[in-house]
Amino acid sequence: MGKHLELLQGTLDMLILKAISLGPLHGYGILLRIQQISGNRLEIQQGSLYPALYRLEQQRWIASAWGESENKRKAKFYHLTATGKRRLQKESENWDRMADVIAGILRTLPEEL
Amino acid sequence: MTARNWLRFVIRRHQLESEMDAELRFHMESYAADLLKSGIPEAEAQRRARLDFGNLELKKEDCRASLGLRLWDELRADLIYGARMLRQSPGFTAIAVLSLALGIGANTAIFTLANEVLYKTIAVPESDRLRVLNWVKHPHAKVGPAWGSFNPNKSGEMVGSPFPYPLYADLRKHLPVMEDLAAFKDVSRLTATADGTAESIDGELVSGNFYQALGAKVIAGRPITAQDDNPSATPVAVISDSYWSRRFGRSPEALGKPIKVNLVMVTIVGVNSPEFHGAKICCNPEIYLPVALQPSLVPNPTGSLIANPSFWWVCLIGRLKPNVSSEAAQVAAEAEFRRSLRATIPDKPVAEFPGLVLAAGNRGLDSQTPLFARPLYLLLAAAGLVLIIACVNLASLLLARGSSRQREIAVRLAMGAGRFRIFRQSLTESMLLAALGGMAGLLLGYASRNVLPALFEDSWRAGTLENQFDWKVFAFAIGITLATGLVFGIAPALRLKSANAGTVLKESRRMSRSASQSLFGKALVVIQIGLSVLILISAGLFVHSLTNLRSAPIGFNPQRLLLFEVDPARARYSGTERVAIFRQIEEKLMALPGVQSATLSSDPLLAQSLSNNCVHPTGKSEEARNNGSLTNNVGERFFETLEMPIVAGRGFNSRDNQHAPRVAVLNRSLAAKFFPNTSPLGKTVSFCEAGAPPMEVVGIAADAMYAQIDNEAPATLYLPYLQQEDANDVTFEVKTAASTESMAKLIRSAVASVDPDLPVLDIRTQLQQIDATLSQQRMFAALTSGFGFLALLLVAIGIYGIMAYNVSRRTNEIGIRMALGSQARSVLAMILREAWLLAVCGIAVGIAASLAVTRLLKSELFGIQPNDPLTYCAAALLLLLIALFAGALPARRAAAIDPCEALRHE
Repeated sequence: MGKHLELLQGTLDMLILKAISLGPLHGYGILLRIQQISGNRLEIQQGSLYPALYRLEQQRWIASAWGESENKRKAKFYHLTATGKRRLQKESENWDRMADVIAGILRTLPEEL
Repeated sequence: MTARNWLRFVIRRHQLESEMDAELRFHMESYAADLLKSGIPEAEAQRRARLDFGNLELKKEDCRASLGLRLWDELRADLIYGARMLRQSPGFTAIAVLSLALGIGANTAIFTLANEVLYKTIAVPESDRLRVLNWVKHPHAKVGPAWGSFNPNKSGEMVGSPFPYPLYADLRKHLPVMEDLAAFKDVSRLTATADGTAESIDGELVSGNFYQALGAKVIAGRPITAQDDNPSATPVAVISDSYWSRRFGRSPEALGKPIKVNLVMVTIVGVNSPEFHGAKICCNPEIYLPVALQPSLVPNPTGSLIANPSFWWVCLIGRLKPNVSSEAAQVAAEAEFRRSLRATIPDKPVAEFPGLVLAAGNRGLDSQTPLFARPLYLLLAAAGLVLIIACVNLASLLLARGSSRQREIAVRLAMGAGRFRIFRQSLTESMLLAALGGMAGLLLGYASRNVLPALFEDSWRAGTLENQFDWKVFAFAIGITLATGLVFGIAPALRLKSANAGTVLKESRRMSRSASQSLFGKALVVIQIGLSVLILISAGLFVHSLTNLRSAPIGFNPQRLLLFEVDPARARYSGTERVAIFRQIEEKLMALPGVQSATLSSDPLLAQSLSNNCVHPTGKSEEARNNGSLTNNVGERFFETLEMPIVAGRGFNSRDNQHAPRVAVLNRSLAAKFFPNTSPLGKTVSFCEAGAPPMEVVGIAADAMYAQIDNEAPATLYLPYLQQEDANDVTFEVKTAASTESMAKLIRSAVASVDPDLPVLDIRTQLQQIDATLSQQRMFAALTSGFGFLALLLVAIGIYGIMAYNVSRRTNEIGIRMALGSQARSVLAMILREAWLLAVCGIAVGIAASLAVTRLLKSELFGIQPNDPLTYCAAALLLLLIALFAGALPARRAAAIDPCEALRHE
């Protein structure tokens, strides 16, 4: 197992939106899904997931409904709303552009200036 | 975040909490189960799950913050904490709430009155588009003859509301900027006989389109329509809601009932809504009749006013079309008015045309507001001052309390409370106090809503002014409550916020507190004293002015004098018949048991009513140019009934009748004006009209007041009413030792024996009459005295508070002084000196403020200067005494300090 990366500021929201864009999930499921698709390389504070979920729901990007979990227990499932879908789209585009710019800057050699 | 969501969370808080708990626990349990599956022992799995999740309660708090509930939770906690703090010191809370309640209550009561008198709009839809037509008399313009009221505007030109009816009829057809133009005329004292009982009520004549043009609704029956406003139509009437209640007990049978109004039979067809009081603000007409009834209902000696093109009497109101600007309407209306004048009064020279002004009509025809505005604003200002004093008082009490709470605050700061949180908490507490005071004040204002109008009205007449509590009053009360909370809460809250945890905790409990802090507190008390001095001085001036008015020599004896009026319908009696019927009543009155003397006059004295005529010494018409003379047509026993001395010649007697040569009595002022340095007896005076017969001066009466109490009696001419061709309504004066009630019964039967359809109006004593003209001064004196008393009470609390706090703060110091040999008496003196110093500073501030402010009251004062030294001294003395008493209690406590006790007390 490689060293865990600390989550960049403000990226948790994007990850949550991405995780549930693939299908409705409960809070613990979101955590597992992020760890799974990141190949366990991201360190996520379990408890901080929930304030983020509540905030996203408050902003109407995600919505929730109570349902039944894999092990037949009552659990709150989150899914993406239409505005949430647009938001995710925009966030990922922004992220790509930002990543390009940052990478470009970091690759710059002294003689190119 | 949406407000609706937030509200849902707040309301369904319990469900939210349990769901949040279930969700977070599900997470932890699922994680623990997974750990268990991967082979970790159960106890260890549970521990790791809790550890990795983090503090459950903190996470929940973060979730709540995400939902925006944190602010709410903190506010609730602050409120609960604040309420607990207030409960802990019930004395302080009671004083604070009481002083705020009195301050806010006084303001609410006066605002309610102002709201009613100054801001209330006429109760019809879209009243802001209503316009009232006024003419303006430019220097050469001529208006008249007229029936109605005119007042000078700001630039001194006369402005009036009455217009000739034919002009109205013409103008109505040619005014495209207005939807419609309605005419109305308020008529006071119509004699209405319903179910066999006659009474005098006020009415309004309205044009047929009046109800439709204004949009006034009826709550029963139908309004007056264009078909009704026709000389050949069956006479109908709409009655007011109050008349319906009073006279018919709101019975539906009132509709269709015939009643006799000034001897004209009319049928009631509708009832107005309770909010509608006609198109003229001030009065509350109880019966509305078509204007076409004027010739039979209120006949005029000149004939039908409907047909008369040059008699100015009806008032006009109309609604602008929605898309017409006020300026465009003004231009169009003025042009149309001039065209209409040419069309309806062709012989009037253009140079004599008055101008036309469209005035705002949202309050209807409004001539009283300018009269009441100034006194009401003055009273609002006085009530505002009281509230400011209450605020300053609370601020200084809270400051003193805050100092004793600094340790508590310091502990909270040391434990990690944010400074802003402390500030907010302190402000929440103040707001809580303000809210309690505001609620109590609103109740107080509501309870006293009808006390103030009573001060305005004549004691013998039923009240017409009914104060309504509406949303504006609520908004005002809530507004000033919030403002007071902020004003008195912010300084103490700022002070608490800046407390320094380290130094305060290290300091001893009783010695700390910088000098600047108590200086600020003292400054507040000085301001309070200053403002109270200002209120007290104003109150003193008003009370003094009222006593001056009451004790001013009026030139006749008002004691045991009963007044009443009769107004025989012109439809039944001609001018000379009216004179004859007055003569009959006069004789009947003289014959009544218990009547010492009875007479009558065309104008009652000291009732703001007067007749002004152009008179001059015969042959010297130039003498008349100075604005005419006051005249009063009186009975033969007038001078003896009113005990007005005749200083030369004789008074009138029964021989001075219509067949005898014309005679007159001048008062001393008029005699000196018309006949300086010569005896006027035997000389003659005449009215200015051509061919008016000369009247021989037979006597000189001592000077007496006429319409109002003034510095000097006006020049007055008395004439025997028997020698006049016509008499309007007259006032009878009856000198009697009997009680008003028993005499009223006798008077009614005496008048009824002359004419059973003749109502006796407004029976009152001359003293009541004088009191009524002083109502405004009385209200000023009563209210400012009340406010002054409140201010004194608040100041006493304020001085006591600051001195008690100072003494408790200096317990240690005083203990040392006494241990070193200081006597109890010198300690007492030391504390008292401090209180006196505060009072002297405050009084100085107050006197300076009063010298600047009371000049504004000059026009409201009688016989006293705004800078009257006696009043100033009395106010200052009163405050010094209050300061002494308020300071005495803490001073005695200081003197009783036991040095051992005080020094051990750490």
